[in-house]
Amino acid sequence: MIYDEQFGSPQRRKALTAIVLVIFGVLLLRLYQLQLLYHGELDKKSEENSVRALIKEPIRGYMFDRNGKLIVDVGPSYSITLVPFEFDKANQALLSSILKLDLQTLEERIARARTYSPFLPSRIKRDIDLRTLASIEETLPVLRGISYEIESKRVYPTAAHASHLFGYRREISDAQLAQVSDFYRQGDLVGIAGLEARYEPVLRGEKGYEFVSVNAKGQIIGSFEDGKRDITAREGFDLLLSIDVGLQAFAESLMTLNNYTGAIVAIDPTNGGILAQVSKPDFDPSILSGVTPAELWLQLQSDPAKPLFNRATLTRYPPGSTFKMVLAAAALQEGIIDENYRIRCTGGFRFGDRVFKDLHVHGSVNIVEAIQRSCNVFFYQLILRVGFDKWTEYGRRFGFGQMTGTDTGEETAGLLPSAAYYDSRYGKGKWTQGFLISLAIGQGEVGVSPLQMARYAAALANGGTLLQPHAVQSIRNKQTNKVEEVPHDTGSVGLSPDIMALIREGLQRVVQAPGGTGGLARIPGIISGGKTGTAENPHGEDHAWYVGFAPFDNPKIAVAVMLENSGFGGAKAAPLAGLVVERYIYGELRRNLPKPAPTPVKRDTVRVITHNVR
Amino acid sequence: MLEHFREYFDYKAFLICVALVGLGLLSVYSATFDVGAASAFEKQVVWAGIGLLGMLVAAFFPIRALHRIAFPVYFATLAVLLIVLIVGKTISGSRSWFAVGGIGGQPSEFAKLAAIIALASFLARTTTSLSSVKHLLIAISIVVAPMILILAQPDLGTTVVFFAMLLPVLYWAGASNFVLAAIIAPILAAAGALFGTLTFLVTLLVSGALLYITRQNRFAAAVAFALTLAIGLSVQAVYERLPGYQQKRISTFLNPELDPKGAGYNVVQSKVAIGSGGFLGKGYLQGTQTQLNFIPEQWTDFIFCVPGEEFGFLGASIVLTLFIALLLHSIKVASLSKNKFASAAAIGITGIFTIHVLINVGMSMGLLPVIGIPLPFLSYGGSALIANMVMVGLLMNFYANRKEH
Repeated sequence: MIYDEQFGSPQRRKALTAIVLVIFGVLLLRLYQLQLLYHGELDKKSEENSVRALIKEPIRGYMFDRNGKLIVDVGPSYSITLVPFEFDKANQALLSSILKLDLQTLEERIARARTYSPFLPSRIKRDIDLRTLASIEETLPVLRGISYEIESKRVYPTAAHASHLFGYRREISDAQLAQVSDFYRQGDLVGIAGLEARYEPVLRGEKGYEFVSVNAKGQIIGSFEDGKRDITAREGFDLLLSIDVGLQAFAESLMTLNNYTGAIVAIDPTNGGILAQVSKPDFDPSILSGVTPAELWLQLQSDPAKPLFNRATLTRYPPGSTFKMVLAAAALQEGIIDENYRIRCTGGFRFGDRVFKDLHVHGSVNIVEAIQRSCNVFFYQLILRVGFDKWTEYGRRFGFGQMTGTDTGEETAGLLPSAAYYDSRYGKGKWTQGFLISLAIGQGEVGVSPLQMARYAAALANGGTLLQPHAVQSIRNKQTNKVEEVPHDTGSVGLSPDIMALIREGLQRVVQAPGGTGGLARIPGIISGGKTGTAENPHGEDHAWYVGFAPFDNPKIAVAVMLENSGFGGAKAAPLAGLVVERYIYGELRRNLPKPAPTPVKRDTVRVITHNVR
Repeated sequence: MLEHFREYFDYKAFLICVALVGLGLLSVYSATFDVGAASAFEKQVVWAGIGLLGMLVAAFFPIRALHRIAFPVYFATLAVLLIVLIVGKTISGSRSWFAVGGIGGQPSEFAKLAAIIALASFLARTTTSLSSVKHLLIAISIVVAPMILILAQPDLGTTVVFFAMLLPVLYWAGASNFVLAAIIAPILAAAGALFGTLTFLVTLLVSGALLYITRQNRFAAAVAFALTLAIGLSVQAVYERLPGYQQKRISTFLNPELDPKGAGYNVVQSKVAIGSGGFLGKGYLQGTQTQLNFIPEQWTDFIFCVPGEEFGFLGASIVLTLFIALLLHSIKVASLSKNKFASAAAIGITGIFTIHVLINVGMSMGLLPVIGIPLPFLSYGGSALIANMVMVGLLMNFYANRKEH
């Protein structure tokens, strides 16, 4: 008798129906009990139980200079936060008066906060002063849903601005937020320029969370689960820079003193570490250290002097005569000429219907003398023998027409013309060899940045190693407390040592020998090499260039100076370079600062006078 | 025309199912939208779409063919369960997640369906004798075989579900009280064994009494009691070997209030969530418990908190009422059906839905232990949703063909 009933008997149907009804009856009774009978108690519990996640902002990483000096620090910044769900609209007027925010702005910010989360705190006013903080603290019991949090802002303890190098942070944009919402929330500062931008993921650290229980009034009544769920913030990692902050400040002061617009970049030619990177005009970075008011930002952006523009890495001017070593290297390395090859300079060069002039009649010159005295005619003739393709190839070998790979900010690749470039720009056969003659002396369409020039100077200094310029040598991992080297690329320009020696001989004579164009770069007690240049500027005064390095036999610093609209390289740029080198090698100046703007001496190039027969 | 439509289209089951799935999607959205699991909602929508398709296929699948493929499908399912056990991906300590070409699936959800069809098919056979012990054991084995494979995964919740399907189907088929008692007694003793020696002894006593009252012959009753004792003792041994999280869940069930920050935390928080909802609830997306993510993994096992907190007593009882309507309807389908296979399968489906709702809602309200089984149609999870919707499709099928033998 295993089965004692009919299959699907009405009696069993009733029994199963009854079981289902009993089960659901119990569930509904329990629901009634919880939601209606115990509602008051459980609702209270739910409010008491409210847990709030307080974000613990990590301390941003510091930056130290090459001597271990703290140059970018952090300090506290207070922000007022609001939880929209808990905030009583009746308190809006009070809050607006304490925060000195007009009602409309406040309402907008609360609405934005609500879209982020009704239950989590959003920052509605950043970087408040201590007096506002005090009055907020007094009124906290009345202002439900209001709290404050401490964030960090940048503090710059040294005299150096280095505004473009250090960079700055701004509040994250909605577009960025949509992409990286895993880390950032509305109102977070994110690096948008310079090292702050490049090393944002390294510097920012990881946020921590502290879970606290809050009561119905939104007051914190203790930590949640004894802090078991808390997540400690991880400090950002420190950047150990190759920058010499003393040199940086000194180079900045040289520019300011003379009211120059332009850039100075100094590089350690042994490893590519940037010693100083100056772009003028600049700004005091502390004005952008915390939250930047919109008016200030607008003002900086619309300033005709373009203080936000990084001239060290983004300008693209012709290099003038400083570029002659590219052609010299091509001609010598390709065996087109040797050190005995001589040309008679008569002060001008006729090519087709054009006459290209030189300021001086240099007489018979070889390659070394041509560099020393910056003889244009020599190079005019030389480029016709070397040819366009070789010139472009050697320009590329020295790193022109390409990004340097620097970590110090956005950069330009510049422009290194080639036959293909002219073909596409003017059409095949529509351009003449005459274009080449301008390029021979670094005029025309060739465009370089001061940073590229500093790298070029470093390659000439170290015998032909092309380095990746960088400011960050290593990163201090705060978790392991280990210092991790940042790897950098190196390449070779591929010149044989004797050819390099020949070119360097010319560079030394530029500075040290009588008749050299860079005599004003001379430093007492130190032998250096360098080259002056003046970039023609159809829109105004010429741009002055100087590239150099020292000490000659064991270079420790390579420098490029570019001064916009200031005149001759030998007169304006060379003395500045000399002072920068002296300050770095001796650690101080051994002579008095020369008076600003000395009278012009020898001009190193002349305007390329074009006689158009047409 | 409309009458004809009503005659052959089970709009009742269809509409109830659609309503429950809709409420489920609302709840999953609310539970996940700011915890970075927002894609869960989109996935669930896709699964609901697949489920709808599966439901319609099941609704129009020829019953005869279903009858015929019941066992091949069943054995294939057993094979899959075996494979899962050997190579399955481990998710939260349980090897039940079957990854095929990047698409995860829980075969145990479909195993329930396969077991119902196979059991119903077996009972409906003309060759199946109602008085044969052998045939009774075969019927029990059809359910117990996949159950053991799932228990070994180990998945306690799903195991319970298999019994909840076996008992009503046997009862529906007309099994005597003794047979039912002989199945219930070991389960009771096994459950008692988990709560210590005293409860074990009490459940043994109750089991013995049940067997004694329903006994038809003494020998059978003695064998059944011996079996009960053996199973109870071995459960105690197995309990020691259970993974910690399940042990903890079972042991803290006894008094979650004493340890609100431990494993009983979920229950306390979910009770608070439901209770604080009150009569009308806090409003959609306004539940502080839900939105502040007090309840871990709320979108799966604790999904009932969302309607409870945000829609209150009104919303939560609508959910329960929809379930009552579906279950009473499926019992009605079972009794209307002239086809034994369809009738038994409908009862099996009723049993599965009932136990899921009972355990899931019961644990959310602190009435039952936290054994992770999802709330049909509402909990996040593709396999369960699709399997459940297919079951509703079968009910619709049985309703449409209720007059055929």
